[in-house]
Amino acid sequence: MAGIQEIYELVEKGKAKKVAAAVQEALDAGCDPAAILNEGMISAMDEVGARFKNGEIFVPEMLVAAKAMKNGVAVLKPHLATGAAGAAGKVIIGTVAGDLHDIGKNLVAMMLESSGFEVIDLGVDVSKEKFLETYEANPDTKIICCSALLTTTMPALKQTVALLNASAGRENIKIMVGGAPISAAFAEEIGADAYTEDAATCAQKAKELVA
Amino acid sequence: MLTAKQNMIECMKGGNPDRFVNQYEAIQLLFHPFMFANPLLQPGMEDVKNAWGVTNTFPKGVPGSFPVHTPDKIVVQDIENWKDYVHAPSLDFSQEMWDQCKAMYDAVDGEKAFKAAFVAPGLFEQTHHLCEMVNALTYYIEYEDEMHELIKYLTEWELKLAEGICSNLHPDMLFHHDDWGGHDSTFMSVNMFNEFLLEPYKEIYGYYKSHGVDYVVHHSDSYAATLVPSMIEMGIDVYQGCMETNHVPELIKKYGGKISFMGSIENAAVDFEGWTDENCEKVVRRVCEESGSKYFIPCIAQGGPGSVYPGVYLSLSNAIDKLNREKFGTENPESARLPLQIMF
Repeated sequence: MAGIQEIYELVEKGKAKKVAAAVQEALDAGCDPAAILNEGMISAMDEVGARFKNGEIFVPEMLVAAKAMKNGVAVLKPHLATGAAGAAGKVIIGTVAGDLHDIGKNLVAMMLESSGFEVIDLGVDVSKEKFLETYEANPDTKIICCSALLTTTMPALKQTVALLNASAGRENIKIMVGGAPISAAFAEEIGADAYTEDAATCAQKAKELVA
Repeated sequence: MLTAKQNMIECMKGGNPDRFVNQYEAIQLLFHPFMFANPLLQPGMEDVKNAWGVTNTFPKGVPGSFPVHTPDKIVVQDIENWKDYVHAPSLDFSQEMWDQCKAMYDAVDGEKAFKAAFVAPGLFEQTHHLCEMVNALTYYIEYEDEMHELIKYLTEWELKLAEGICSNLHPDMLFHHDDWGGHDSTFMSVNMFNEFLLEPYKEIYGYYKSHGVDYVVHHSDSYAATLVPSMIEMGIDVYQGCMETNHVPELIKKYGGKISFMGSIENAAVDFEGWTDENCEKVVRRVCEESGSKYFIPCIAQGGPGSVYPGVYLSLSNAIDKLNREKFGTENPESARLPLQIMF
């Protein structure tokens, strides 16, 4: 019988094809869906994130783990209380205007989802107005993540954060920024709440910010 | 005074360079006929399909072109049947086309600069151009056999290109592009890298070196310090694009004599809105001081002579010339090199 520990191991090892069956088996055996999610999958992704941050595993291993979790959540979702899969809160994410590089942004989105956040992914080349408009349409948003990979799009990141900082309800959200040329000093200078240097740290920091 | 090329040779062999090598001054990047059949995009050109079927775009204000991977534009729609989607473009060019390229090689003063065949993208890049990045990285774990087969197919194509280049153009240097990491980490583990890419690259670079090419410069503007032993085994002489995150002075200490490092000047440190000559000079002085003139070439990290913001590359070159004048008494370096090639 597949138990929570087996699901944990399957997610950690990125066995995407086997996770769905294991989750179904655990459900059939009467395991608590919330425990499968939290102790089986989210805990496994926390471990994956920590190992990635330590340089023990790399992007491919993290991707297959996130894919495994996604497959497991698909089976689990109908059995969870509404909203449980995104219980950590809502996050809006995108690369800023003019920036079309989405690899890092996608990794961050996956790690946030895997940490229990509901992610609204606006994609790439997102105008500052679109970030604000999405926040206004989703006032329960907890975090807005914006990234810029290029020195040429750092001004767009600054403008986006400035617009969000001037918005009503600013006190209810945290703004996180990232991308290769970005630093903690730049984040502070433009008025963001946090900068993290990789996807795993971002997910960890996001959990701290909403705790 | 040594010519720029002689000076770079002295730098690479740890001999007696008489000044810092100044970025790409000793490397003349040259084209081959496939690049005319499959042209590099210029800034402002968007959504252009290349000879492999990959759609590329090059918006203004970014360092280079990159592939577009909306679902409809991903070439490999099914990795288990990649052969149905990946069709290598022809490399059969007329002698007239080869001759036109050869004329460009012949026009370069081989005493002052290497005649460097430019080849891009590399094997890893081509896999993610064809499959999309997240898909490709996932396939390296989930579809190992298919990825080995795909890389073998790409390698055979590169070897055929190498045959044409070596037999028709006779370069003495290869400048080969393949980004293997991001700013702080490689994309994959050393084991995975070696499993998929080491032998194919040994074959490709081995071919060039056994057919007249003296030096292989490999570009990866990234962290890749952990891959340096593999680079040496592949036959790479110069790792171009090495970012500061590689801790270049330590690499020089550890691997100098087996490989040289060209870079350390990250675009983020010098190439931004409001850039200044003063900042360029400050960064040049720092990296040169840290790494010295042997086994190290101070250079902007990006893959080719140029910068995102016009003027930055030239400013860096001017700063290196200034430092060479102060430190080595080098006057009139222009007389020992070709006019600087600034491509973008």
